[in-house]
Amino acid sequence: QHGRVKIKSTAQQEEEKRKEREKKLKIYIAARDACFSKRKEGICDDEALQLTQQLLSSNPDFATLWNYRREILMHLEDEVQKIYEAELSFLESCLKVNPKSYGSWHHRGWVSARLPQPDWARELSLCDRCLSLDDRNFHCWDYRRMVVKMSGVPVDQELGFTDHLIGSNFSNYSSWHYRSTLLPLLHPESPEPLCLSEYELVQNAFFTDPNDQSAWFYYRWLLGRGITKLVTCGALFLSLVFQAQSVGLLLVLDGQPQRVEWRSVHPRFKHSPVWICDLPPGTISDITNEHNLTVHWTEKHTHRDCALYTGRTESYCRDSATDQELFRSELSVEKTSVLQSELQSCNQLQELEPLNKWCLLTIILLMRALDPLGYEKETLAHFQTLKEVDSMRSAYYSDLCSKFMIENTILKMEYAEVRVFSISDKNLTTLCHLDQLLLVTHINLSSNQLQRLPPQFAMLQCLEVLEADNNNIENLEGLFCLSKLEEINLKNNNISTLADLQPLASCPKIKRLDLRGNPVTQMAKIEAELAELLPSVTDILL
Amino acid sequence: GKVCDDEFEEFEPLDFLRDRHVRFFQRTLQVLPERYASLETTRLTIIFFALSGLDVLDALDVIDRNTMIEWIYSLQVLPTDDQSNISRCGFRGSSHIGIPYSTKGPGVLHPYDSGHVAMTYTGLCSLLILGDNLSRVNKQACLAGLRALQLEDGSFYAVPEGSENDIRFIYCAASICYMLDDWSGMDIQKAIEYIRGSLSYDNGFGQGAGRESHGGWTYCAIASLCLMGRLEEALSRRELDRIRRWCIMRQQSGFHGRPNKPVDTCYSFWVGATLELLDVFQYTNFDKNRSFILSTQDRLVGGFAKWPDSHPDPLHAYLGLCGLSLIGEPSLRKVHPALNITQRAFQHLQQLQQAWKDSTGSCSRQH
Repeated sequence: QHGRVKIKSTAQQEEEKRKEREKKLKIYIAARDACFSKRKEGICDDEALQLTQQLLSSNPDFATLWNYRREILMHLEDEVQKIYEAELSFLESCLKVNPKSYGSWHHRGWVSARLPQPDWARELSLCDRCLSLDDRNFHCWDYRRMVVKMSGVPVDQELGFTDHLIGSNFSNYSSWHYRSTLLPLLHPESPEPLCLSEYELVQNAFFTDPNDQSAWFYYRWLLGRGITKLVTCGALFLSLVFQAQSVGLLLVLDGQPQRVEWRSVHPRFKHSPVWICDLPPGTISDITNEHNLTVHWTEKHTHRDCALYTGRTESYCRDSATDQELFRSELSVEKTSVLQSELQSCNQLQELEPLNKWCLLTIILLMRALDPLGYEKETLAHFQTLKEVDSMRSAYYSDLCSKFMIENTILKMEYAEVRVFSISDKNLTTLCHLDQLLLVTHINLSSNQLQRLPPQFAMLQCLEVLEADNNNIENLEGLFCLSKLEEINLKNNNISTLADLQPLASCPKIKRLDLRGNPVTQMAKIEAELAELLPSVTDILL
Repeated sequence: GKVCDDEFEEFEPLDFLRDRHVRFFQRTLQVLPERYASLETTRLTIIFFALSGLDVLDALDVIDRNTMIEWIYSLQVLPTDDQSNISRCGFRGSSHIGIPYSTKGPGVLHPYDSGHVAMTYTGLCSLLILGDNLSRVNKQACLAGLRALQLEDGSFYAVPEGSENDIRFIYCAASICYMLDDWSGMDIQKAIEYIRGSLSYDNGFGQGAGRESHGGWTYCAIASLCLMGRLEEALSRRELDRIRRWCIMRQQSGFHGRPNKPVDTCYSFWVGATLELLDVFQYTNFDKNRSFILSTQDRLVGGFAKWPDSHPDPLHAYLGLCGLSLIGEPSLRKVHPALNITQRAFQHLQQLQQAWKDSTGSCSRQH
């Protein structure tokens, strides 16, 4: 149902229209009935073609009639070329009336493919004309792609076609899209020289009109080309907790395979990167001897080893976060220099157009790719501007910024203490990458804007102390079966019912709970209720 | 310079005219203007828009349910006695082929009578909305008809005689299997491959491989994967984040379906529901979305149009309501974002499916 603009008309015009419609209706019904009775009798002749033509001219979406026409055309033996060409001519008139009819385009594709002597140049020219009227008509683009494929038009010729379209109008999103499919065909490995001229083309586009999305989306894709993504596999052991994408894990203890059940950290969290198993009782009873554990991840043909040393109660094996390039991709020297020069260009544009959101977003992404820690301050400043300039999406940007700050904090952990995670007063609106915090014993999330500790939070299996004061937390789902958790600080949050505190009952070692400044403290008999819910917590502050 | 549009915005009445919309859908179910003639072959989809629209408005009491249910069953293409047409079963769009009216089997053999995947989908939805228990649906025939439509590449035709094939019909197929609680109607793995192949360089989905990203096809992709229960298996976390980004950039005031296209009411649902399924709808701006949708509301005849100052039509009227429902418009029922029916109708489906499970359980116990 395509948009039709309202036009007012007089009563007389209305009456004339009505008479016209009645006349058309009579003709339509007569033609339809004649058509079907012919088909019923199995007649495939010229008159049938005439009748269906009449009907399809006014209703090109009557799919059954196209099918009937195809039947008729397949039965023909003489003058096939001439009749098929007449068909193409008929289709052109249909397309003039409705250039977005699935039935018409599909039929044209069928006819063109079966024409004894096809004229692909004419088909391309039809596409040109159609696109000049509406360059976003995807039916036409799809048809053009078919014609190109059938007639073997060389890729560089089609690239030239997109050059021409983009050259006359940078805002041609469908052309950029088409280009994105052609470029990989021509240069599958994207050697640098080609990319540079492509970058120039795109830069011209967004320098000319920085507010047009087309070039920016294409640019983002272009920047990402030719970067190899590493598959990360961080394996962390602790009380036998393994980080993997799926459960295909085999545990071997001191050379003996163990029969264990792996479970996700939270029942609501089915696709977990972290899996836990409990060893059968008595398997490691003797901590005065060294034990060797290996976990095999069969699907990825890899494994990690860990030794539990004499007298120790925990052990772990961990891949370095920076070595793994966890949050960004590995860049070659050439790629780095290309991205740096792109960043320079974008910065230039940003000086001319300080409120352009696409520019700001691209700069942020380039900085993340090049040096997330080095550019941290600038990134935060740009996010501030971005949220003001594109306020409709400010919540999305806040989350994106939270993610980047968490990534930076994780990267910094490499150079400091790997068991303490401190990210307070950073305007965090969401938590992520919690699978990287498996080893953390102390976490400080205070003075942010968090609303919940989601099920994924249960991945912090080693957590002993949680500082989360001064947030807006109302949901504690993620504090589930955290067997080492002893201290919880939730001062000045939004915990309002006893039910909100239910998950804490699953954590056996909690000794101290600070709930001051939460609405729940105003509840009647709150001390008694808490004593019943959490009997082993000795120190509750209300 | 900084754009400050708040001061200069024209005063647009932002009240939601519920009664007008009820009457709009009532009229849709009676007689349509002449310009809709070309939609005769897809009439059942128009009925679905009206019925589901009335459901969202909590106004189903204005129609005669039983008559409607009978009419829908008359559109079922049933198997003939010898089952020779079993691969062509399903529901047809209307009576335009000329099969004599009948709500019971056996089927009548006709060279051009076959189900249409979108009609089977909207037919089943409509029956559920009307409270029917689907007992007269020949489920095995529908599923056989569905299997016959899937191609090697995982996509579906609309009709067994052939038609264009793309991601829209995968969505219809997935919905049908979901409602009938029977995935033997399709090869899920192949469908997933086709869907993945439709992911474009800019992280939206096209109608198929190599085709331009579009809000409608992105909805079909994500909703299908959700109905199959395979969203996180089929797409990595990185891919999902990128898809979220493409989708969230579609909001301009309301939503558009592709970059540099004007905003259009129906995308408030297609893109809105996709964002809801991806858990990020709460990051969109509800006020601007609502203002746009209501600017396309027809204050005289009811319904919504795709743009302001245009004629309303059943599709945009229905999807406009769904768009408003997503942002929590008070008088509207909640909509199931993947199946595109109300949560109320969805609960009815769940009860039916439980009853089906229970009865097969008791059957096996008896043996």
